[in-house]
Amino acid sequence: MDDLTEMLKGTLEGCVLEIIGSEETYGYAITRRLNELGFGDVVEGTVYTILLRLERNGLVQVTKRPSGVGPPRKFYALNDAGREERARFWTRWQYVSSRIDRLREGGR
Amino acid sequence: MNFWETVTGSDLTREWTAFEVRAAALPDDYRAAWEQIKAHLLPHGSLTGRNLMPILDSALGLLEETAADGQSVHEVLGDDVQGFCAALADGEGAQSYRDRWREQLNRNAARKLGRLGG
Repeated sequence: MDDLTEMLKGTLEGCVLEIIGSEETYGYAITRRLNELGFGDVVEGTVYTILLRLERNGLVQVTKRPSGVGPPRKFYALNDAGREERARFWTRWQYVSSRIDRLREGGR
Repeated sequence: MNFWETVTGSDLTREWTAFEVRAAALPDDYRAAWEQIKAHLLPHGSLTGRNLMPILDSALGLLEETAADGQSVHEVLGDDVQGFCAALADGEGAQSYRDRWREQLNRNAARKLGRLGG
């Protein structure tokens, strides 16, 4: 689907939190996962800036591991603060999506 | 960092050189992207550009990692290099020219209004 970028902006961080929350992973794998989900526009640079933000906000634990090729890769896992933030994201998401659904169904 | 380096930013020249050495090892399309990244990040720089150094370092790190993966630079950065740079810089708290202009405007407006007795 095209033209998702604007709509995804606020939610992508939550998606990344969820992906990291299920297993420790790295930027390229996160991007691939999002692409497989159908978010084809998402590039690694986008994910990277989100990861930087998560790291700065102290939500992830970062481990550098040597990779077969090139410089060591950074692996990300959620810490306690990250897990709390993930829960908050789903609460917010639930709120927004239920309101929007209600709007479309014409209820109040 | 000693006083002389703080004032003149002379240590930054060394860092720049180190960046360029690393960038020279990248594939052609990545080198072109690096030039673009530098151009887009410069407006976010402070006087000496010291605040940009960690940002440039991390951007170069991403380029190195992904180039080693054999990805094309387009797969990594997409079409919006400028947006990528803005996201990098904003996250680091780098103050852009735009913010400074806005502040200046606010200040001037406040002063003028103050003079009018408003």
